[in-house]
Amino acid sequence: MEAIKTNKLSKYYGKSVGIKDVSLTINKGEVFGFIGPNGSGKSTAIRTLLGLLIPTSGSATILGHDIAKEGKEIRKKIGYLPSEVHYYDEMSSRELLLYSSRFYGPENPAEIERLAEMFELDLDKKITDLSFGNKKKCAIVQCLIHEPELLILDEPTAGLDPLMQNRFFELLEAENKKGTTIFFSSHILSEIQRLCDRAAIIRKGEITAVENIQDLLEKQMKKVRLVFKEKPIDLKLPPGSQHEKWHDNKLNFEYVGMVKPLLQFLNQLDLIDAVLEEPDLESIFMNYYER
Amino acid sequence: MNWNLYQKELKRNRKNLMIWSAIVIAFTLMITSIFPYMKGMGDDITALMDKMPPELGKALGMDANTWSSILGFYSTYYGIYIIVLVSIFTTSTGATIISKEEKDQTSEFLMSKPISRLDIFKTKMLALFTLSMIMYIIQTTVALVSISIFRGDPVDWDVFAIMHVNGLILMLFFTSLGVIISMFVTPKKNFMGIVVGITFGSYFINAIGQAADAVNWISYISPFHYMSFIVNESEYSVNYLSAIVLLAIGAGVLYISYLKYKKKDIVG
Repeated sequence: MEAIKTNKLSKYYGKSVGIKDVSLTINKGEVFGFIGPNGSGKSTAIRTLLGLLIPTSGSATILGHDIAKEGKEIRKKIGYLPSEVHYYDEMSSRELLLYSSRFYGPENPAEIERLAEMFELDLDKKITDLSFGNKKKCAIVQCLIHEPELLILDEPTAGLDPLMQNRFFELLEAENKKGTTIFFSSHILSEIQRLCDRAAIIRKGEITAVENIQDLLEKQMKKVRLVFKEKPIDLKLPPGSQHEKWHDNKLNFEYVGMVKPLLQFLNQLDLIDAVLEEPDLESIFMNYYER
Repeated sequence: MNWNLYQKELKRNRKNLMIWSAIVIAFTLMITSIFPYMKGMGDDITALMDKMPPELGKALGMDANTWSSILGFYSTYYGIYIIVLVSIFTTSTGATIISKEEKDQTSEFLMSKPISRLDIFKTKMLALFTLSMIMYIIQTTVALVSISIFRGDPVDWDVFAIMHVNGLILMLFFTSLGVIISMFVTPKKNFMGIVVGITFGSYFINAIGQAADAVNWISYISPFHYMSFIVNESEYSVNYLSAIVLLAIGAGVLYISYLKYKKKDIVG
């Protein structure tokens, strides 16, 4: 059975497009990435799946249940981590987490305690006194306590420091091994690369591609910055290079293709410095998907 | 009905309930306890009433008898202030019980939990009803006790009961208006202005209609016209037809509110 299956799911806000004809199939046990720049429709798609937004047209099922009719059943089995956390200011984290867990069944204070310790969250502080990152930690604990079958994570790492990000990813990998399906939305490609098997790319509300991460890596553009001892004459760049720019003895260009030929090319040069950079998503879209 | 959410709503509104109850209790005690002094001045006030334009007396629901019995005295204040104060509390609670979650953006949290929108709506309405009834029962009990203490002469408790049934119906009617206002008015700011406007406004519309025969019709649009507090009328009773109509309108208003809520997009 599929974890998530959408069929031409669309959401319009008046006349402006939120998402348009989104058809996706995500298998159980998969870690599925959802990449797109800000405002591309990632959150709209997620909110529609959760029943927060009423779809304009199309349909979807989650774990075999129809989102329009069986939202309550679905949400029992889902853990949702919002991109922006808004909780009840007057509650402490502990109160909020207990309140949240009672929607799923009996309270489980031990599990709350364990997860809070893992993420170094002070349970007795009021929500209103928590920093952005700490609110996020509270939300992470919130989405895990009831051991959901499907995790829907909307830009989960925003606000987390690298140490916590790492801990969170390790936890996600462990959850996935236990069989939890993970739907991971992000605009940071490297996160998606680390965790996901497949990813959908969304742009202006439409899915532009669904790729295996391996293929995406091969197609992925890199920004290359080289500093030469002396500016070489008649330098031939490897195939897949574009937009080359010289500043004295410095060269910038973009490279799309397998990494090996690029390394072989770099190896034969007389370089002082070389930097390979991951471009931001927007430029991947500009350079790859529009070619 | 979701017990978890129900408890949370009661807890969240606890402070507000206590503050408003304190105000209403104090007011009830004040009115009833000053009655023995007012009664002592009965003749002077009757003389004063005779000199007042009769329209003013009608507008305030007063006549010469108002000052001779504690129920007559209490009813003028019950109709103007107490029911309006109680309704301001219940109506503003009704206006915020759902919309506060939208304003604070916590509805995203609530609606991502395994609970249907119908359950949320029902539970919140039940919490609202509970809060309103607590307020109402506290006020009625305090009035009952206080009138027993300060009455002087025997009291016709049937009249007291009719008054309070009328008050209850008005309170429930206004409360349902609070809920629907919050569904249709954006942005979700402070509803207090609208709530005070509607409750006091309907009282004054009725008062104007009663005072001036030329605009008598105006009082028909006010629910106060149908749920009267003029206890010295010979046939003072509950107007059952009006009561049923007002309650039916209230139920209809809640149903429309639910239809609106069911289709609402929760945009972050």
